[in-house]
This record gives sequence, structure tokens and C-alpha cells, in this order.
Amino acid sequence: MIDPGRITMFWVIATLSLAMLPQLLRMPLPVAAFALFPLTWRVAAEWRGWKPLPKLLRHSLTGLALVVLFISYGNLSGRRAAVSLLTLMLALKLVEGYRIRDARLVVSFSLFLCATQFLFGQGIVMPVYGMVTVIVALVALTRLQRNEAWAHQDGRAPAVRASFFSELSFGLRLLAVAAPVGLAFFLLFPRLGSPLWGIPDTTLDSKSGLSDSMSPGSIQQLFMDDSPAFRVTFEDAAPAVSELYWRGPVFWRFDGRTWKGSFYGTNVQAIEQPAVAGAPWSYTVQLEPNERKWLFALDYPATTPADARLTLDYQLIRRDPVIQLLQYSVVSNPAFVDTPRLPVTLRAQALDVPEGSNPRTRLLIDRWRRETPGDRELVRRALEYFNQNPFNYSLNVPMLGQHSVDEFLFETRTGFCEHYASAFAVMMRMAGIPTRIVTGYMGGWYNPLGDYYLVRQSDAHAWTEVWLPDAGWARVDPTAAVSPSRVQQGSLGALSAPRHLLDYRWLRRARNSIDIVQQRWNDWVIEYGARQQARLFAPLGLDRATPAMLVSLLFAAIVLFGAILVPIVMRIRGPGRTDPIQIAWRRFLRRLETAGFAPRASRGAMEMATEASEILPHAATSIRHIAELYTRCRYAPGVQPLAELQAAVKEFRPSRNPA
Amino acid sequence: MNTLAAARDRRPAERRFDRWLLDRVQRLRGAVDLPLVLEYRHIYVMPTRFGAWFAVLLGLMAIGGLNFNNNMTLLLVFLLGSIALLTTLLAYRNLVGITVNAILAKPVFAGERATFDVLLKNPEERHRFAIQAVASEALDCGDIEPQNTLRLRIEQDAPRRGWLEMEPFRIENRFPLGLFRAWSVVIPKARCLVYPKPAAHAPPLPKSGRGDQGAPHKGDGEHFHGLREYQQGDPLRRIAWRTSARHQKLYSREMETPRDESCELNWYLMGTGNVEEKLSILAAWVLRAENRHIPYSLEMPGAALPADRGEQHRDACLQLLALFND
Repeated sequence: MIDPGRITMFWVIATLSLAMLPQLLRMPLPVAAFALFPLTWRVAAEWRGWKPLPKLLRHSLTGLALVVLFISYGNLSGRRAAVSLLTLMLALKLVEGYRIRDARLVVSFSLFLCATQFLFGQGIVMPVYGMVTVIVALVALTRLQRNEAWAHQDGRAPAVRASFFSELSFGLRLLAVAAPVGLAFFLLFPRLGSPLWGIPDTTLDSKSGLSDSMSPGSIQQLFMDDSPAFRVTFEDAAPAVSELYWRGPVFWRFDGRTWKGSFYGTNVQAIEQPAVAGAPWSYTVQLEPNERKWLFALDYPATTPADARLTLDYQLIRRDPVIQLLQYSVVSNPAFVDTPRLPVTLRAQALDVPEGSNPRTRLLIDRWRRETPGDRELVRRALEYFNQNPFNYSLNVPMLGQHSVDEFLFETRTGFCEHYASAFAVMMRMAGIPTRIVTGYMGGWYNPLGDYYLVRQSDAHAWTEVWLPDAGWARVDPTAAVSPSRVQQGSLGALSAPRHLLDYRWLRRARNSIDIVQQRWNDWVIEYGARQQARLFAPLGLDRATPAMLVSLLFAAIVLFGAILVPIVMRIRGPGRTDPIQIAWRRFLRRLETAGFAPRASRGAMEMATEASEILPHAATSIRHIAELYTRCRYAPGVQPLAELQAAVKEFRPSRNPA
Repeated sequence: MNTLAAARDRRPAERRFDRWLLDRVQRLRGAVDLPLVLEYRHIYVMPTRFGAWFAVLLGLMAIGGLNFNNNMTLLLVFLLGSIALLTTLLAYRNLVGITVNAILAKPVFAGERATFDVLLKNPEERHRFAIQAVASEALDCGDIEPQNTLRLRIEQDAPRRGWLEMEPFRIENRFPLGLFRAWSVVIPKARCLVYPKPAAHAPPLPKSGRGDQGAPHKGDGEHFHGLREYQQGDPLRRIAWRTSARHQKLYSREMETPRDESCELNWYLMGTGNVEEKLSILAAWVLRAENRHIPYSLEMPGAALPADRGEQHRDACLQLLALFND
């Protein structure tokens, strides 16, 4: 059994820890704790020289880990569960692995684990973190290689005078020299047009953003989430911020508490698509992965992105969930009459309210309906009602009971966009006006540097659409009636109190500005694909980049880099440094040589100085001085006069012997 | 402890490959004269098993990254791949230019293990890391400092007396990550003298038949003979200090070895029997006589060494026995 040695083992453990950390933060607490335990144990065991755990205990630990994993996730088919499984097994390998092979297994799988973290996010910080992990892994592998070479002496490899930093910098040197080739591969390696296999829906377990139903509190949750939902770049003109209603899931059915989509609404194609001609808004959306299928667009999308369809209620639904940063372009035409004639089935669905619920609202609406016959007037009256009564736009919403709309309208009067939208929709339906709820995002933060709009999860919004006989579905935002600032200043501007401790306006502003880095990263790196490859070669007059062309370019690039890189590689210093005394001494010998004295390697320092003095008598003093210093550095106990030696050698410039 | 790992963790396929390569090198280059400089055409680079496994892992990561169009994963894979490729150069560079200066071996007795000292010189201004010398059943390893030499020891079984040819060995390294192995095959013209194995139960030393005739052999010996004036070259321990002090002049003790205590080792007097057994017994006698400080002569068919003592004489005798050819 060849033990890799304590220090090497620490490097191995460090590699695993770095690779694990981002995953640990995403894991349920018991699983994370279970993954940390073997790691900590091994560190302590190496430190204190503990014996390996008994076999039975190790096996039961593995069994227990599987049980914890299963209980925490329910099944093991999800991506997260799979990553957790890998993490746990690697951590447990530390409890039983004492050979170089095991250590190498842990390091190489750690690199694999490091790659899996990119499935969950490819933010700008991740590559830097990944690089650090790679460098530490390189150090661990270098050390393991040394231990293996000295395996015949139980892996006790002699130190190469390698300090902590020289080992790290060796890793860094490897990385730096390899980077250009890696980059060439990245740019030129042909990409798949379509995936070889898709991700089954069951593996998606980190859904975020708007969901396929709306109940009190569901959007409020999003409101606390400041992560970006998507970024939008307009081709030319952009609408006013108060007009930026990003349409997402549309809901028709209401059971008194929860709003849900309708079968027709989500499964039937749009009857008519708005005309592209004259559509003023053309833009590209960069959607952060949310593992859901909705694509967000302004009303009304005149074009449909690839792999998506436009439904009857003008939702854009993608065939597969968005698991990667997704970029799509849409043209929107607001001047479009949505469904001028409403079919009976849809009408019935858009008027349905649960029987016997919210009796007080029913009374109020009945009274209004008697007094106000026109639909438009009734809508206006309801909005005025919200506007003139003391309604509050706030995060602190009391729980609502069975007759949620009654309680909201007459008692609490405090709510969030979803409460207003829900209450308004119920009121309109009671009045016989077909109404549906639209969720999505409202507004966006314009970044002048990058000329794009940043929409965060906290910009999630819910509004309503009423159907009017002459105008089709028309947007009505009851929240705007209560709190006009929500629409004008964005969701956060409308709040009087900060959401949490660090919720300052300047901080939000700073963060929004910094977002441009992430946007650029997304644009240039994450979104890089077949299309960008083609664009890269447009200046060369190649309008299409075929795989064969890319591969030949790749080879050309490698040959080109090779010509430049090989000489550099051949000069890379290994870990460890050369003895400074030796460096100074060799420099001295070189200078002697230029002065005409050829030193013989077999001579001792003092002996050689004597010989040199005979040939170069004019420099005899300094030659003897340097030889003495060197001998003292080498052999005399106590403080080494290294600095003196270096200075003396630096000043030593003997001229050739004139004789 | 040289007999370890190398042989143990090599697979049959690898062994077959090594043998094939050795045949090839033998055909192309044959045995080489020293010093041998490891040049680019002598150095082979192949992935190790860990390297192959690493490639598979990278392949899996690349397929995943391509399938999900996950550019960060691809970036990582390409970077790691480039680093791996880079290490082929580093492993090669760690070896190229090293000079095999000499291979030395001290004689051993049959049945012992012969030790070949391989002297490697690093003529350049850079470190060489973890350079290994690997034979079929032995390996040794060391770093070489800039412009310095390294002595690696390779042991080899010495089963029979005579010349033991050193088997071919490799100078190799897996620097820096253990993903690739760069090596060079050396077929050395080095040999080690193997003396006959001394018989464990040899009969007593034969006494010389003519031993009582002639004057005793003066000079070194155990028996005191007399005093004489000090002459240059007399060992210090021979000086008779007390006598010298008394006479204000240096005197040396003269020693002698009685003639009758010398012994004559004669092949022809050993009777008939197995040649190797006879050689074994003779070797044992040589050692025994040398141990007891008895001068001994050796007569073999075609060669004879007069009675003498000392390491040189012993080695000459043993060499005669080792190379005996009937």
C-alpha cells in the first residue's frame, strides 16, 4: 500500500472541497452535512495519524449516505440528486482510499464535479472559481506523480525545495501556457446543431421564476429574489418603461384560491398572428435558465422563436424547458386586436367564478352593474374604487381565508399585484365581463452602458385582461390604479420599506450597473455557438462554417500555436526553485569565462579561484573574495552572506587579460 | 527494496508492448556505448493508464458539454485537454539531454543480487524531476539538480558465475501530472563479474606439502622476527616506540610469516567431481584463507597465481574461478 503522504493528501482534499463547495450550497442540509463529515474526518485523521475506520463502519456509512440522499430527494433521478450522489461518494472515498490510485480518482472526479456546477449556473464568477479548482488539482496531481515515482520507497519523495507558492505557480504556468490552445479549441470546435439527447422533465428540480399557477403569495416569493430573469436588447426604438409588460403564463380557471391555465389557452395555436409589417419593437431576449417553458415577450409577438409556439392566449411556449441561457429574438406589434370574436367555450371559461364564494363582492358588483350598464364604465369604476379607497401596496399581506376577495376588498385592503389582479378579475367576472389573468414581468432596468434592459425576478407582476366586444382582450392593470409608482418606478420603487437588511437603493443601482459584466459574459462566452462561430469567420469571407472547415482551421491554429508555444513550453520551470547561491556562483563562472578563463567543473571553489587569479591577476582580489563568500555560504555554519555574494557577483566585471 | 512496484502494477498488455519495443530498439540500435545522450529520437511518449482514464473522463465531459451546449463545461474540458497535451512535451523535455555517463558494477557471488550503478548527468541549467531507471524487476528514482549527476541503482539477480550482462532498462518519467510516460530504452554494454558461490560446508584448508622448506616470508605477518632500522615506507604501527625512544633513533619491528602456514589451492588436487562444486569449494577456501591471513596460491588449468594475500590477490583468484572454462 503506497500512501500518497500527508501534504499531498491535503491537496487532494482541497481539490475536492473546492469542487464540492458550490454544490454543497445547493444541497439539503443533511446531505451537505453528510458530505462534509468524511472530509473533516480525513483531514483530522491525516493530521493526528488516526487509523483507517473499520470496514463495517465504512460500509454502513455508505449505506447511510444513500438513505439520507433518498430521504432528502425522494428519488435519485434529478440532476441535483445525481450531483449530490457523486459528491457523497467522492467524499466517502476519502474515508477508505489510501492509495495513489484512489487519490487520483478523487482528483479527476473532482474536476468532473467542477464541470457539473456549470449545469446550474454559468455566472461570471464561476470560471474564475473553476480556474482555482483546476490549479489546485494540478498541484495535487503533480505531487501524486512524485509519490508514485518514489513508490519503491513507500512514496517518500524528496522535496524539490518547493514552497507552497512555487507549487501553485507551477500550476498557474501550466494553465497559462495551455490557455491559448484551449481557447482555440473552444472557438473552433464544431458544435452540435441539436442535442443528441434531451433532458427528461423529471430531472428538472430547480425550477425558478413564474410558475404555471398563481395563488396568494406565489409572486410575493419572487419579489424577494433579485436574480436576473432575462435581459433585453432592443434593435432600435424601445417602449416606455411603463409599457414593458412581459407576457408570461396566462390563467383562466379560478377555484377560489388558485388561478390556473386553461387547456385551450395552452394547447391551441393562436388563430391569428400579428403582422410583422409595421411592428415597432424588435428585440432580443437573453433568458436565464429557469427550467420552465415560457418565453417572455411584449404584446403581441409577431414572430415565433424557433422551438416555440404561440398559443391561443398569446403565450410563447417552448418545446423543452429552458435549462441553459437562451437567446431568442421577437418582433412585437402592440397594434393588434386580440380575438375580436370570443367563442362561447372560452367566454364561459372567462366568466366562471366558484359558486357561493365572496358574497359581499357579489352584492357590490350587482349594485354597480345596475348603476353602470357599459362594460368600459364598469372597468373604470372598479379601478376608481381601488384608487379612492385606502388600499395599500405592500409586502406584508395578512393571510386570507375562504372568501379571499371579500376579505381583501373590505377588510385587509393590503396586497400585492397578485391580490389586486385576482380581486379585480373576480369582480369583472361577477359583472359578466370575460376576464383572464396574465403573469409575467413588468418594467426593467435600463443599462445605458450596454444598452439593454435588465429584468429581475423581483420584477414579476400580475395583471388582467378584459374582453370588450369591439376591442378584443384589453390589458387592465389594477395595481397601477392603487400604486402608479409600481408601474413607473418598478416594483422596488413602489415600496416604502426595504425588503431586507442590505436593501438600499444605491446598492441596487450599483448591482444593476455591474450586471453589464455578466451580460457581456453571457453574450460572448455562454451563448457562443454555431451561429457565433459562423460570425467569427464572416470577415474572412466565409459565410458558413462547416464542421470540416472548423476542424481544419482548428488544426491550423494548433500548428500555429505549436510553433509559438513549444519553445515557451520548453522553457517552463518546474516546481521548486534553484538554489540562489548556485545561481550567483554560475553567474560568476560565466563572467570568468567571458574574461578568458575556462573554469573546470571538477575544481573546488578556492582551488579554482587560485587558478583564475593567475590568469586574471588584475581581478584577483575580487575573485578570491567571491570564492570565499561562496564557500562561507555553502559550508560555514550560521548566517549565510548570500546578499553579499550576490552583490559581489553583480559588480564583478573582469576585463580580458591583456597579456 | 528495489524489486517493487514496477513489475507489480504493469499489465500483461503493457509488458507485451515493452517487449515489442525492446526488440525494435535492439534491431535498430543494438547495445550502445557510453556515454549515451538521450536524444529526441530515443524518447517515446505514451499515455499511462491514469492518462487513458483521464482522457475517457474528459471525453464524457465533452459529450455532455456539447449535448447541452454548456460552454463553460466545454471551456473546462478544452483547457484540461490542452494541459494534458502540454504535459507530453514536459515529460519529453524532462528526459531529453540527460547523459548516461557510465554504468558500474562491483563483483558479487553467484546467488546474490548484482547492483548496477547508472550514472546520469544533467548537463543543463534546469532541474530534472523524478527520473526513474526501470528494469524488469527493479527501479530507482531521483531528481537531478542543474549540472549535476545522479546515481541510480538497478539490481539484478546473479544466478550463475561468470559475466552477468546487464539487462536492458528504461530511463523514464511521468512528470508532471502522471498522465504521460516518456521513456528511453537503454541496451547497455555493461556487465558484472559473478564469482562462484562459496561452498557452505567446504572441507578444511589444504596445507602446503612443501611448506617446511625455504625461508619464512618476511615483511607482513603475525610473527615477530626482529628489529631493524626504520626505513621510509614502514607503517607507523610497526615502529617500536620504546626501543626507538631508548636509542634516539627509529626502529621498526620486522615481522614474518612462516612458510609452512601458507596453503596451496590446486585444481588438480581436488580429485574428480562436479566442476561447479569444485569451484565453489575453491572459492570458499580463498575466502577462508584470506580471512585467516594465510597466504595462498591458486593453480588452475592454464593459469596459476603464486602464493600471496590481500584483496587484490583474492579478487584475482576469484576472477580466475569465476571465468574458469573447461
